[in-house]
Amino acid sequence: MHELSLVEAILESLIPMCSEYGIEGKVKKVHLRIGRMRQVIPDVMRFAYGVATEDTVLRGSVLELSLIPLRLSCPTCGAEWQGDDPIAFLCPKCGEKNVKTHSGMELEIESMEVEQSDESSDNDPAVRHGGR
Amino acid sequence: MNRVITIRQSVMEADEEVARRIRDRMGRDGRLYINIIGSPGSGKTTLLESTIRMAPEFRFAVIEGDIATARDAERIAALGVPSVQINTDGGCHLEAHLVSRALESLPLDTVDILFVENVGNLVCPAEFDIGEDMKVAVSSVPEGADKPLKYPLLFSQAKAVLLTKTDLLPYVPFEMELYQGDLERLNPGVPLLMMEAPSGKGMDAWIALLRMWLKEKRG
Repeated sequence: MHELSLVEAILESLIPMCSEYGIEGKVKKVHLRIGRMRQVIPDVMRFAYGVATEDTVLRGSVLELSLIPLRLSCPTCGAEWQGDDPIAFLCPKCGEKNVKTHSGMELEIESMEVEQSDESSDNDPAVRHGGR
Repeated sequence: MNRVITIRQSVMEADEEVARRIRDRMGRDGRLYINIIGSPGSGKTTLLESTIRMAPEFRFAVIEGDIATARDAERIAALGVPSVQINTDGGCHLEAHLVSRALESLPLDTVDILFVENVGNLVCPAEFDIGEDMKVAVSSVPEGADKPLKYPLLFSQAKAVLLTKTDLLPYVPFEMELYQGDLERLNPGVPLLMMEAPSGKGMDAWIALLRMWLKEKRG
């Protein structure tokens, strides 16, 4: 279950961030972007997140995952394709072995959705209103 | 109403910074640093023992990662090579900050090649950057031929794949064509070395790779 390892790494970044932004206990949602190559099973990841956040300031928040497909392109013939079923780093048109990976390796914390508080600044460029 | 804070940061940001520092340091000093990844029992420590015995031209150091015990580091130390054991106490992989701490107890000035033998596991060790120059995948014949396709991250990133225990091919089912075909799709052109510990078969090719990589590193 490597999802738990990933969740632990996420929390090492997120928990200090919560105190930095002063949003401890207010986080409703955490949004991650996960590439297909990371082989994450969303349900397992959400379960691991629930267990790992139980005694933290993120308790009760929900993990939202966007799975990003493996997108590849060929520098020789210009072909572009989605390469994840089965995973293959070979150009299907010309057989080129040295292909370019555009997406599918992501492991990123995209955003956090937090309860709006009165004193929050509307001028903060990192803050957008409304959920997604 | 809720608000959204945009973060756009790698999940492993903090540890990646430590990995970058390790990579800079090893790069500056021209030392080759290889992360050995494979299942428990695939023959990782045996490979390192054979490498130390058969390649006296290099000065080695080894960091051993295991959930428990110092057995692997003891096996390496018995050959007169500096070694450090990291016990992860349940953790299924090594992280850069653990390696960084272990590096402090190694005489790096006198080292050409540093091996880190990761915790036996084909999944998590592939996810975590520990500042290495390259990952090398070790998989053994008895594990079966489906390993590359089941663990695509490791096998697509490995700079070389060592298939060990090939002396068992006559005795256990192993579809070589499947293994080679999957590996070629995942990582076209990656060197696949057939290893046989009792006879030492494959060691010459492995040592030649080490020689080439070290030369590349030293420019």
